[in-house]
Amino acid sequence: MAMEENTPVEVLTDPAHKEVSDELAQKYLMFLSDGLDFGVKASYVVEIITNHTITTLPMTPDFIKGIINLRGQIIPIIDIRTKMGKMEGETTNYSCIIVFDIHSIMLGVYVDTVSQVVDIDESKISPPSPHNRQELVNGMVSMPDGKTILILDCEKLVDSEASMMM
Amino acid sequence: MDNDMDSMLETYLFEANSLMDQLDEILLEAEKSKRFTVDDVNEIFRIMHTIKGSSAMMEFDSLMTTAHKIEDLFFLIRDRGVEYFDEKCDEKLHHGMFDMLFTVIDFMRSEIEKVENNEPLTENIDSYTEKISNYVMKIKAAFGEAAEDAEQAPEPVAVAAPETAFPDDSPFFLQIRFEEGIGMENLRAFMVVNTLQEEGLSFKFYPEDVEANPDSCAVIIENGLFLSFTHKAEAEKAASLIDNMGSITSCELLENHVKKEEPKEDTAVKQQQNAPEKKTGAAANPSHHGEKPKQSLISVNLTKLDNLMAIVGEIVITESMVTSSPDIQGLKLDNFTKSARQLRKLTDELQDIAMSIRMVPIAGVFNKMNRIVRDMGQKLGKDVELKVVGEETEVDKAIVDGIGDPIMHIVRNSMDHGIEETADERIAAGKSPKGHITLSAEHTGSDIIIAIEDDGQGVNLDAVLNKAAKNGVLTKPESEYSKREILNLLMAPGFSTNEEVTEYSGRGVGMDVVKKNVEKVGGIVTITSEEGKGMKTTLKIPLTMAIVDGMEIAVGDSIFTIPITNIRQSFKASAADIISDASNGEVIKRMNEFYPIFRLHELYNIPTKITNIEDGILIWVEASDKSYCLFVDELLGEQQVVVKPLPTYLNSYNIKDSGIAGCTILGNGNISIILDILNLYLMAQNY
Repeated sequence: MAMEENTPVEVLTDPAHKEVSDELAQKYLMFLSDGLDFGVKASYVVEIITNHTITTLPMTPDFIKGIINLRGQIIPIIDIRTKMGKMEGETTNYSCIIVFDIHSIMLGVYVDTVSQVVDIDESKISPPSPHNRQELVNGMVSMPDGKTILILDCEKLVDSEASMMM
Repeated sequence: MDNDMDSMLETYLFEANSLMDQLDEILLEAEKSKRFTVDDVNEIFRIMHTIKGSSAMMEFDSLMTTAHKIEDLFFLIRDRGVEYFDEKCDEKLHHGMFDMLFTVIDFMRSEIEKVENNEPLTENIDSYTEKISNYVMKIKAAFGEAAEDAEQAPEPVAVAAPETAFPDDSPFFLQIRFEEGIGMENLRAFMVVNTLQEEGLSFKFYPEDVEANPDSCAVIIENGLFLSFTHKAEAEKAASLIDNMGSITSCELLENHVKKEEPKEDTAVKQQQNAPEKKTGAAANPSHHGEKPKQSLISVNLTKLDNLMAIVGEIVITESMVTSSPDIQGLKLDNFTKSARQLRKLTDELQDIAMSIRMVPIAGVFNKMNRIVRDMGQKLGKDVELKVVGEETEVDKAIVDGIGDPIMHIVRNSMDHGIEETADERIAAGKSPKGHITLSAEHTGSDIIIAIEDDGQGVNLDAVLNKAAKNGVLTKPESEYSKREILNLLMAPGFSTNEEVTEYSGRGVGMDVVKKNVEKVGGIVTITSEEGKGMKTTLKIPLTMAIVDGMEIAVGDSIFTIPITNIRQSFKASAADIISDASNGEVIKRMNEFYPIFRLHELYNIPTKITNIEDGILIWVEASDKSYCLFVDELLGEQQVVVKPLPTYLNSYNIKDSGIAGCTILGNGNISIILDILNLYLMAQNY
């Protein structure tokens, strides 16, 4: 089900990062949403799926796109764009769902596209800028090619719901 | 290691809880009949022994010590002879004993609960141990006097020869000893007894519970198996038969000399007394077998069963995915169809078995009520008998867990408000002075019906109306309420007919909570009552919530499932049938009653082409006391579906209040949303 053929950029390890082979380096999956690069710890990622029929649920907030049947498991799907307060994007061929397992809570996140897996030295991650605080981002890191990657806070993804409940 | 500990703790809790339930049952039975039987005492002794052992292993000191004390008490009773104890104890002593035991058991239960909740156990348990010790003293005192009596008039019990204590006063005994270390002495003894009985010999044997009680092994090893005969000839015949059997080392014929020394008439009387006793003993034995059949049970973690059920559901879905695959549509495949049919039969069977595993008798819930009726009866000074019918009825474990509290609440209500305050009131009303509460359970097709009925004073409709008016529960003028509607008011939130809050019922939780809990497991509560004659509360609950018959309907691109049990009728309506009411809602007349129409596409905001009432279809649905019509695009057909809960992640969005009960996976892998007809109505009301 991993849909490499649909990912536009080949998954490869950046050569500049080869030296960062110590334990601090962690694999991160990069994905694109509304023109921004995000990174998410690969250990949370179960799989990436495309072309899945999403059953919409009535009476739920906009960012809950619905539920899917993943081999018998019912998994809720949230749209990362609307969750961050942006407009809903168009569905393209590259649109896909990243399925996370966050402390045994299965959750699908609808993103514009996934790009690659990179090694990131966690000590290089700096806290997000205070005046541009985003709910789901808990850090940012600069890549050698000059790109800035926002680190998605997976715990917050499931946690914020718990706090909402209260 | 941690896992090991967890599973050990789980086993311990399971065992302790079921033993406590058993103990409760025995004590209630014994209290009712005002005496202990030998079996009762042995059983209590065994239970306390087991709890003592396992508590000691788990290092739960308070439980161990209490169990040990009770064990001591029953050891004393067993040691001196149960019948002797029953004889010597006056009523007051007896009564006090039961009260004391119940208090101690409650304490033990609360300790077990603490273990369950990971709370520290009570350290100072002196008050309980003292209670038991006091009681042991009291019994000893009672025995002490009795013993003196015995010495004056030679009683057989007191004078019985010290080395060979004869278990009863028959003149002839056979003492049989088995080979040392042979094992399973109790079953061997049972075989001996069986063989002799087949030869037509009449005798009694000790220990009496050889078959059912493995602990009797120890007794047999220690004392041997005793057979008591009234005639020497029979005893001799038995002895010759026994000589031919294997694994027996000795078979001695003993004569009870004490008996012989007594005057002849006395012996004759004793023998006559023995004769009927023998009969009852023989009659009691087979029934005893019936009551406690040897069960080969294992206890399984419930989550494993849930997983099994989920997998079975998965198989059922996959099976229909395979057999109705679009790839093979229109092809004539004889062999495939044959195998597919066989597969369907097997999956159906598998589903039945998997479901039956989760079924447990409702007796567990019912038996707890005995205790409540007893305690409340004593406290309120009401003499009430609880009758239980159909306790062997089997229900899904999840449902049993869900209805325990509601039933308890209803029984408490009956005890507190239902049954008249005094026996005089009952006599004046032409009823027997003793109140009756009947608990019954039965299967009807796919439902289980549980009824709680009392023969108390019934519901005073006027009082209910007044109270409802005072609390602002009424939604229309008082005169318009039918009897059924008034009774339903009892279950309205914030309603309680009793003025004062008592210890047992009316603690701010009323029948509305009962209703809510029963609805949670998909059931319906109805109350019927006749003033002066009593009240009956009926719970109608589906057998299982895992698989339902559903009607698939389409609205726009979405597919929904409505449980068949909720559907009364589906029909086409013309625009002329629809009546608009004042608040812009639509109603339709069916069978002389008006029902509101809710358009599902409007409620759920689903884009659809079908908005004209004549193009779609109306489904008349009903849940609990709510009845209305749903407007949908089209019916797709009936299907058995496996209910899957929605992901817990979504719980924070009050998905349950938007009329969605869960979802199911259709044959083509798509998801259909199962509607909760009752909640949908409530949602539509607030819409």
